[in-house]
Amino acid sequence: MTDTKPILVSSTTESTGKTGVALALAREAQERGEEVGYMKPKGTTLESAVGKTLDKDPIVAREVLDVEDEVHEMEPVVYSPTFVEQAVNGRVDEEELQEEVSEAYEGIAEGRDAIFAEGGDVYTTGGTVNMTDADVAELLDARVVLVAEFESYYSVDDVLAAADAFGDRIDGVVFNSVEGSNFDDVEGSLVPFLEERDVPVHGVLPWEREIAGVTVADLRERLNATALTDTDEDAYVERFLVGVMSGEEALRQFRRTKDAVVVTGADRADVQGAALEAPGVRCIVLTGGLEPPSAVLSKAQEKGVPVLSVSRDTLSAVNEMEEVVKEGRRPDAALVETVRELLVQHADVDALLG
Amino acid sequence: MESLSEFEGEVVAVNPNHEEVLGFASYGGVDDVPGEIDLAVVAVPPDAVVGVVETLGERGVVNVVVVTAGFSEAGGDGAERERELVGAAREHSLNLVGPNCIGVVSTPTKLNATFGPDSPVEGSVSFMSQSGAFITAAVDWANDEGMGFRHVVSLGNKAVLDETDFVEAWGEDEGTNVVVGYLEGIEDGGEFVRTARRVTREKETPVVLVKSGRTEAGARAVSSHTGTLAGTEKAYEAAFRKAGIVRAHNTEELFDFARALDTLPLPDEDGVAVVTNAGGPGVMATDAVGDSSLSLAEFEDTTYDALDDALPDAAAFYNPVDVLGDAPAERFEDAVSIALDDPNVGACLVIACPTATFDFDALAESIVETAEGTDVPVVAALMGGEATKEARSKLSEGGVPSYFDPARGVRSLDAVAGYRNAKEREIGEVREFEVDHEKARSILERGREDGRLGVEATPLLDAYGIPTPKGEVVETQDEAERVAEKIGGEVVMKIVSPDILHKSDIGGVKVGVAREDVRDAYEDLVSRARSYQPDAELLGVQVQEMVEVDEGVETIVGFNRDPQFGPLVMFGLGGIFVEVFEDTSFGVAPVADAEAREMVNSVESSPLLRGARGREPVDTEAVVETVERVSALATDFPAILELDINPLVATPEGVSAVDLRLTLDPEEL
Repeated sequence: MTDTKPILVSSTTESTGKTGVALALAREAQERGEEVGYMKPKGTTLESAVGKTLDKDPIVAREVLDVEDEVHEMEPVVYSPTFVEQAVNGRVDEEELQEEVSEAYEGIAEGRDAIFAEGGDVYTTGGTVNMTDADVAELLDARVVLVAEFESYYSVDDVLAAADAFGDRIDGVVFNSVEGSNFDDVEGSLVPFLEERDVPVHGVLPWEREIAGVTVADLRERLNATALTDTDEDAYVERFLVGVMSGEEALRQFRRTKDAVVVTGADRADVQGAALEAPGVRCIVLTGGLEPPSAVLSKAQEKGVPVLSVSRDTLSAVNEMEEVVKEGRRPDAALVETVRELLVQHADVDALLG
Repeated sequence: MESLSEFEGEVVAVNPNHEEVLGFASYGGVDDVPGEIDLAVVAVPPDAVVGVVETLGERGVVNVVVVTAGFSEAGGDGAERERELVGAAREHSLNLVGPNCIGVVSTPTKLNATFGPDSPVEGSVSFMSQSGAFITAAVDWANDEGMGFRHVVSLGNKAVLDETDFVEAWGEDEGTNVVVGYLEGIEDGGEFVRTARRVTREKETPVVLVKSGRTEAGARAVSSHTGTLAGTEKAYEAAFRKAGIVRAHNTEELFDFARALDTLPLPDEDGVAVVTNAGGPGVMATDAVGDSSLSLAEFEDTTYDALDDALPDAAAFYNPVDVLGDAPAERFEDAVSIALDDPNVGACLVIACPTATFDFDALAESIVETAEGTDVPVVAALMGGEATKEARSKLSEGGVPSYFDPARGVRSLDAVAGYRNAKEREIGEVREFEVDHEKARSILERGREDGRLGVEATPLLDAYGIPTPKGEVVETQDEAERVAEKIGGEVVMKIVSPDILHKSDIGGVKVGVAREDVRDAYEDLVSRARSYQPDAELLGVQVQEMVEVDEGVETIVGFNRDPQFGPLVMFGLGGIFVEVFEDTSFGVAPVADAEAREMVNSVESSPLLRGARGREPVDTEAVVETVERVSALATDFPAILELDINPLVATPEGVSAVDLRLTLDPEEL
């Protein structure tokens, strides 16, 4: 082992912004003159690239941190459904696996001051091969930063359970993406409560649209949709409404929403008309791949409301879009910079970087 | 060009490739045409249209028809092209019809600037249509029926001139007796209603419209045609009523009603006399009268006596009057004349079925003669085919509408009576109330980001002079106690959260809370809300004066914003009357006092307001005034998309708005 400082960034729930926080911390360390590296021992944000299923986070990390490690070293284990199936059927050698992870780490750690390792989806991911985030922390002798969300007070149980799993290795909790209405609850009640239980909290980051929000353009890319209008796609979207009701009813419902995407069939000109009438509708997604009436597109163009077309059916389109919104924006250099600013403002960065 | 060959004025072509087009002189460019140009018809490829229109504008041409398609209806660059066209037209203040239309016709000068195959005959009905194909079809049919038109306009995309402009122009046109139209949508609903109302009432020119897209499927077809959401059926009904427009439900009615309104005098009474030579059709006509707003006339005794004297013993002299199958034209004439003399008869339907000896022509002549001598509308149902053809054209020439089906005759008479009612309908005046506009605005500005407001916005109603129970929204137990003390007596306490839609389902409403229980009630309400819906945003607890609902009637007053006509004010009685029976009435804002009164009185359940079942009548004038004040609020704040006061409790002493919900478009504010 070298004297590199390993920091594992883990989380209580999926899509809490681990990658953003890990890379932002790494960037801050870089700014402070440290040589840093990134790895994700268990790849989970899978995307099927040509020939091989890969996690996208290491690729982003290479860009953001300007490092040139091999992706397969940054991500030694691809924790895919097939891999888990093999593990369950006893076809994975755990010791060999630990060896691989250690070796990969050694390779990346070489000559660096700090390595930021990102955990799996949640801190328990990896249990089938005895490689939960707690196991990884143990293996790398890492300190742990736990990224947590605050949806409601029920979230507290998860934080306590995770802290318990990490034991003394936990360095501190960072609450991420806390909405304005919950901010006082977290700072006023929750932080003292956790500290009372010996779980230090190093930061409470407010919800920021630029970080958590998904724009129409993001949606178009993720859905692989075709834009039928030539309009701005910068508007943020937060919710989806499926238009299968009458035009009159649709208008009533659409008016009571904001930052919404209306999903409907290309043949439902009445619903499309209602969507164009409602101020809170930011985008119309037409399913089934058919062309809507030209008159509707003209009207949409006039009102600056983007119309996207996808060939899939409504249900699968909505499922995919919900996934996109839940995950939030995919991290990129700009997003990492914003998270870094938030960390500097709202967290004890010195404590987090040790 | 061929269609223009009959035109009484001069016609030239502009086409750089020809010196002559179908015998008309042709010029290379607009600027080469000598003299004044009164009307230009543009039929060039879409890309060239804007340039041509600009040239025409520079040349000083004012009236332009653009036949070319490929604009907003076509997608792609079409919408942008149409915007440019509108820009060019505005710059030169052009009266521009179209684009994407078949043109215009004006029969007095034999102008047929359309590419339709037939020219209509001259008449006094002016006709506009949003469908070009419907014009060619209707003109062909009308020529067959002997019906004429004065002006015919294919509206196309209505880029510049729309239905409002033509209703206004034809209202001013001495030669137009009736305006008819086929519309799929209306550009500016508010302006259209105001203009049409002036035309139907002050100019005394009836307007008959078919508005398509009445059903859900029809509305979808309209949206697909126009790209906009069709206005709701309720909004159209309310708007047409306000504007005094006679609504036809299909093509047959459109021209039946047009013809009846063109030729018939308006009836003074609603009683219809039916004179027939066959029993069955007389009964069918009677049913049709029953289905209409008209009634079967009850004759005076003198009329019965006269009919008894004039008709054979076997004839039926009660209405419908059966003159028997052997009746010659003279017997019809006698019966019709006697019926027309009866003061209760407002209209007369003559039904004739063929018999071995019957002479339809003689009947037609006598009906025309009788109709000429009376100011009571007379229509005929000649129930036959070939045998009636000659007679029908005699009637048509004599200005007596005739039909095969007596029911059509009745519906036409009903339309004429409907126009009379519309003209005479009391509208009243839009009252100006003293309101606190600034206060209302500041309350709306404090609304949530997502624009949904509830009881916390009650002061908005106070600002518009709508009585509300005493009360406040509080955020602590101490405040709750203070407010309860101020109100005095027992109070109602409710959770306030835009996210909790069914407050009473989670025990979020407490009625009759005594002073000493206010603190506990506050705590209980808040913890209920928290535990049932942890993510709901809590704005506090409303502590409100008790309103004795049992002594009053729960009503609902509200509005929503129709895509075509703007604010549509709604009235109904609360509970099952609105939810189950949909017993509601609507009015397009601004609602005048008489209109508001009509709205309140026209719901089926309105007797409950007037003290049904031995109860004391409520203060209906206070309800009427609330409808007017809500209308004012809707008109003053376009940012409010919808608003419901539910319930507005009406008692003999007045009204009280107990609960409120509204949706705001913060960007409009």
